[in-house]
Amino acid sequence: MTARTAAPAPAPADPSDVDGALLVADDLHYAYLGRFAALAGVSLSVRRGERLALLGANGCGKSTLLKVLDGLVFPDQGSYRAFGQQVTEDALEDEQFSRGFRSRVGFVFQNADVQLFSPTVREEVAFGCLQLGLSRDETAARVADVLALLEITELADRAPFQLSGGQKKRVAIASVLVMNPEVLLVDEPTAALDPRTSVWLLELLAELHAAGRTIVLATHDLDGLDRVADRCLVFGEDHRIVGAGTPAEILADSALLLEVNLVHEHSHLHEGAAAPHSHLHGTAGHHHSRPPAG
Amino acid sequence: MTSEALPRDRRQTPAWLVRGDLAMCPCGSGGVRRKGGFVEKTLGGGAAVLRQAMFSDDLAAERGLLQRIEPRVKLLTLVGLLVAVGLVRAVPVLLGCYAGALALAAASRVPVPFFIRRVWLFVPIFTGIVVLPATLSVVTPGDVVLALWHWHWHGRPVGFTAQGLHSAGLIVSRVATSISLVVLLTLTTSWPRLLAALRAVGVPRIFVLVIGMAYRYLFLLLTAVTDMYTARKARSAGARGGTAEGRRFVAASAGALFGKAHQLSEEVYQAMTARGFRGEARTLAADRPGWLDAMWTVAAAAVAVAVLAVDRRLAGG
Repeated sequence: MTARTAAPAPAPADPSDVDGALLVADDLHYAYLGRFAALAGVSLSVRRGERLALLGANGCGKSTLLKVLDGLVFPDQGSYRAFGQQVTEDALEDEQFSRGFRSRVGFVFQNADVQLFSPTVREEVAFGCLQLGLSRDETAARVADVLALLEITELADRAPFQLSGGQKKRVAIASVLVMNPEVLLVDEPTAALDPRTSVWLLELLAELHAAGRTIVLATHDLDGLDRVADRCLVFGEDHRIVGAGTPAEILADSALLLEVNLVHEHSHLHEGAAAPHSHLHGTAGHHHSRPPAG
Repeated sequence: MTSEALPRDRRQTPAWLVRGDLAMCPCGSGGVRRKGGFVEKTLGGGAAVLRQAMFSDDLAAERGLLQRIEPRVKLLTLVGLLVAVGLVRAVPVLLGCYAGALALAAASRVPVPFFIRRVWLFVPIFTGIVVLPATLSVVTPGDVVLALWHWHWHGRPVGFTAQGLHSAGLIVSRVATSISLVVLLTLTTSWPRLLAALRAVGVPRIFVLVIGMAYRYLFLLLTAVTDMYTARKARSAGARGGTAEGRRFVAASAGALFGKAHQLSEEVYQAMTARGFRGEARTLAADRPGWLDAMWTVAAAAVAVAVLAVDRRLAGG
């Protein structure tokens, strides 16, 4: 059964236990330029070692929430604690706290291009470790290991503009993995990737989870959700969390998915008769959530 | 509200969209042809920049003489040679130095005709234009070797003077040789290694970082520009649309690009912050000089001393 909140209520939508949680956000509000709401009373907690999927249609606030969880933007209202400490702009001014936080939380952006700002792949992957104070020798060794892990060793001396979309994504992931973060925030992991790279990435996330990493990913792709998440939070188009549950529970709740614009209804001709039904948004296959009549 | 956001039963598809009209213009040749305008030229220019960047990367990856020299050593020695060239006052010595630069290009597997074009097609021509007035007796009084007209300036015909031509030759050959050395440095050193070398010789870290990122994102924005122009080309038909319309499009695309660049810069900064950037970027260690670098340094120093000695003798200083 999917846990759902009363739609407009700003109450915390995620009733999970706060004890043992790595990241805890309470009643977050955020608006771009003070006008365009992105988060309107979002609360959640992320437990150690879990895989949490943030589901929602485009523009519902998933990416903004990930940026708040990574201490890149700060809520207009509400609080956020990570590893037992308040994360604020002021707290991140503290060098030691900043280093500790940045080394424990890694963020893979949706647009890999923004993450590839160094002149070569090798420098890109080395960037995080060097900023966090790792020695050059140790960084070089880690870079070599992670390039081999992601099968991109031959790209080491290439410039980012010479890479394909899939290669850029691999480099972006490598640049985060090399810091060995405890929590991995991944924004739309499979967006604009070809099927082979998508499968590779989902398998990599599964491996990282098996190795004990905590993973929070934002997606509107329901395909293979049960393979990448243990728990889901569903964003409504009003920038609040309107549902929570396991992937199976969420996928079974057609009304919720329809309401938040993650599936849509349309008609097909089945043996000559029009049959309105919903299907999973953005998937190549045709997943009927209601058997077509006729 | 867009039609996509409307429920299906309330969405009105225009009749003309479902009617299956013929295309607005019939297919087939009408006999009127139009040369490519600014759209094609911009697309061609964008592709040329990318081609040039890849060609430069390929040259820097060759196993020629200068490519084997450690970038910091190469930078410092070529700067030393530049200073020596700057002090030379005899045109024959400068021509000798230029011939030496051509030999270095050949030894570094840089195609010599391409190298000559790269150097001579741009800056020396502009330098020549700048120094041209100095060759005239109006600016540099002296022995007129070629009179241009016969009304007199301070009692002498107006024309090219030997002194003026010598000065112009000196400046142009000095600039050409200097540019040859700089072009050799940039062609035989990959951009990242060149930036690392600049940093190693004391250029401020933030300056190097900004140049590196500007170069990196130049290609991304170039792709955005070519995408916009390609989209326009895909929707352009016939010869309609004059220069005013073209200007509007260029202004609009420049505005869109500015917005994109601004958004990109914010996200790039966030991506850097997310990985621990706090205003001072650290980079991996540069290469270490070896015996070849030592030999090159000695040779470059010897050449610089020899050039200055010969110049002193020829120029009588």
